[in-house]
Amino acid sequence: MILQGRDIAVRYRPSAPLALDGVTCGVAGSELVAVVGPNGSGKTTLARALLGLLPLERGAVSVDGRPVSSWSRRALARVVGVVGQQEEAVFRLTVAETVMLGRYAHLGPLAAPGELDRAAVSAALERCDIVDLADRPVDSLSGGEWKRVRVARALAQEPRVLVLDEPTASLDIRHEMELFELVRQLVNGGLAGLVITHHLNLAGRFADRILLLDRGVVVADGPPSAVLSRAALSRVFDWPVAVTTWSDGSPQVVPLRAAEQESSP
Amino acid sequence: MIFLERISLALVILAACRSSPVPAGPISIIDDAGDTVRLAVPARRVVSLIPATTELLFAIGADSQVIGRTSYCDYPDEAKAVPNLGDGIKPNIEAVIASRPSLVLLYNSGQNAGVSGRLRELGVPSVRLNTDALSSVPRVAQMLGKLTGHQRAADSLAAVFDTALASATQPQRTRRPKVLLLVWEQPPMTIGRGSFLNELVERAGAENLFADVAGTDGVVSIEAVAARNPDLIFTTAEGPSAFASRPEWQVVPAVRDKRFLHVTGSEFNRPSPRSPLAIRELTAQLNRGTR
Amino acid sequence: MSGARFGGLGLVVILCLLLGLSAGAVPLPLAAVWAGLWHSGAEASGIVRDLRAPRVVLAFLVGGSLGICGAALQAMIRNPLAEPYLLGLSSGAGLGAVIAIATRAGGAWAVPLAAFIGALCAVALVYRLSLVSGRRLDPHVLLLSGVVVGAFAGALMSAVMVLSDAPGVRNAFLWLLGGFGTASWRALTVFSAYALVPVALLLFHARSLDLIALGDEPARHLGADVDRLRRVVYLCTALLTAASVATCGIIGFVGLVVPHAVRTVFRPLHRTLLPVVFLVGGCFLVLADVVARTAVRPLELPVGVVTALIGVPLFALLLRRTLA
Repeated sequence: MILQGRDIAVRYRPSAPLALDGVTCGVAGSELVAVVGPNGSGKTTLARALLGLLPLERGAVSVDGRPVSSWSRRALARVVGVVGQQEEAVFRLTVAETVMLGRYAHLGPLAAPGELDRAAVSAALERCDIVDLADRPVDSLSGGEWKRVRVARALAQEPRVLVLDEPTASLDIRHEMELFELVRQLVNGGLAGLVITHHLNLAGRFADRILLLDRGVVVADGPPSAVLSRAALSRVFDWPVAVTTWSDGSPQVVPLRAAEQESSP
Repeated sequence: MIFLERISLALVILAACRSSPVPAGPISIIDDAGDTVRLAVPARRVVSLIPATTELLFAIGADSQVIGRTSYCDYPDEAKAVPNLGDGIKPNIEAVIASRPSLVLLYNSGQNAGVSGRLRELGVPSVRLNTDALSSVPRVAQMLGKLTGHQRAADSLAAVFDTALASATQPQRTRRPKVLLLVWEQPPMTIGRGSFLNELVERAGAENLFADVAGTDGVVSIEAVAARNPDLIFTTAEGPSAFASRPEWQVVPAVRDKRFLHVTGSEFNRPSPRSPLAIRELTAQLNRGTR
Repeated sequence: MSGARFGGLGLVVILCLLLGLSAGAVPLPLAAVWAGLWHSGAEASGIVRDLRAPRVVLAFLVGGSLGICGAALQAMIRNPLAEPYLLGLSSGAGLGAVIAIATRAGGAWAVPLAAFIGALCAVALVYRLSLVSGRRLDPHVLLLSGVVVGAFAGALMSAVMVLSDAPGVRNAFLWLLGGFGTASWRALTVFSAYALVPVALLLFHARSLDLIALGDEPARHLGADVDRLRRVVYLCTALLTAASVATCGIIGFVGLVVPHAVRTVFRPLHRTLLPVVFLVGGCFLVLADVVARTAVRPLELPVGVVTALIGVPLFALLLRRTLA
């Protein structure tokens, strides 16, 4: 496990209830873990806790065996690449310049980029299939292209873990699939992948393991076919669903409409 | 009837010739703002919100009629016994009214137009005066003489002033010493043609280094001063003093050679009956300096 | 290609410096300027060496410093409209200066020192306000607090000016509006000594500014120590701007317009942007100073007025270009 959290408890304000209560979660190389759950279940909180951005009331997070607090931000950035939910660019950089910013973790503020850095950037651009966008200014990109640029930037860090927070938000089918295929390829290539998503079906198709959260607690942790069960999902999402199986064996969730609910067992 | 009228006329003429402090008949003057101000009798309670007029009122013998002054009214010494009603730049109307004046003297600034109007509404006549130029001394003195019933004294003061001014004024020489009138140092500021100090200096036989500046004052650079190379540097009591030791000023030869002309004394702050004296003082210092 | 741009920039810098040396209240031909610069006995040497040279160099350094302060703040606040004076600095400096004059504090350095302290107090107050809200150095809070503190200090300043009977309080305004009329080698040395460390620190953190401009979270994820960086940038810009105000009054628009203008020609990455902004800011202020001292010869315009008069239309032009 490169990224591991044990019995994590997080409370945002002294008077507030626990946002996370005893969550254990980890991800290893070549493994794609999806974290799902209803709004407010603590998905993003978990991601931030695992990245050492939140003070823990209880529990510990370790990166590559060492406590996350012992890592400097720069050293951590060499191991963990993060693609956040949203980002707005204020200054008009090109795609290549943006991806090069991912090398900060290796270069620091002063050093000039060298061969290694340029190679890492090229590799990242290629893997994300945006080489022909390299000189385009970032404000001329579509939503899907911008997402891929940010993934490329995270890859330029040459991390061993890739964390994505709601990467398919506001993407259409094609871009959703392209993104998940990309992440799957990267994970197959050795990266550890942690994806926070509300998209149950994509999680079912692509993830090796799914973590189902409900109000700060882990309800289920296992392969998609085990976690995405009708009973568990209906209870956690407070809405009746049906679960079918697609031809590749992955469970697909269909939320039921009012008429359908009566006829379902 | 005709006889009575003739007698009345004769009596009026006789009365006008007497030098009593309370002449007969209503007083009407046009002030420097163009307003006509009428008084039934000479003002017995005058608030003077201009240092120049305070000095003039004392000079024409109306001192007992002055019931209010500004904090800048520092001459003569007796003036300090008069109640201080503030700095006069933004007159405190309440304080002025509280002293129950029969006349208020205001500086003719745009702001005081409103003050004058307000006082008029409250039943207090006010007169707005330009007291910036030397020529204002006899003119304002005579106006004040009419308003306070000291016409004779005012007339004689005006006459004396004109003579003294004429005799104190130096004849135009071909080579006049150039004087920098420095009133502030950070940033360096000088006096222009429009100021009465300029007139004092010119009448004393010198030349204002920045006579080409039209207004009353302006910011200049040390470089301009150095290039024009003044013979003397003139400062007053309220002016700058630290500049002489600063390295950037050493470019000016007059600073290096310490050719300074420093005057203290309020006669340099405003046009007044003492102005001819101020001119003589300046002339003496200039002659000493350029010897 | 970029080599040509830098070459062009170098040429512009030299031309501006030469123009600054040859223009002034006294028109001097270039030959006389040159002679005066190198030979101490030459006719114009006093004016050129002791007055114009320190003045031009000081204007250059102050312009450069204000420029990089503006660029750094724009990155930190993630708003291209940020200016060093948004932090409430200018009013704080004004209040300090006016208090010094009103209390007739003696010594030639009283007013600049008071302006410096006033500026830093305003900055500290803005920082404290941002802490109170629990959002330390949050850009929006900084901007709002800066406006509020600025208004507060400005009101106090007006009150002092109205109540004080010290002569020259009105002249405090003229000093505040900005000018290099009393520039000297000594003032230049003091400012350089002050500016060296903050400028070096800002240049050092140039690439970190690229990151922080992306947002707090992306910057953290890419490895930047956002909290420390914000403190450094805030402190450096505060010190530099306060030192500028103490040296030559309040000169606005340099920090706002110069980074914008440079971004239309050069890349916005701060490792090239900051040094270029320094040079261009320096040239801008040298030229503004030339206008200030030649437009109404022999009088001088306050430099702050000139930068505003040039800065506003220039800014409008830049807006049109970038938004079109």
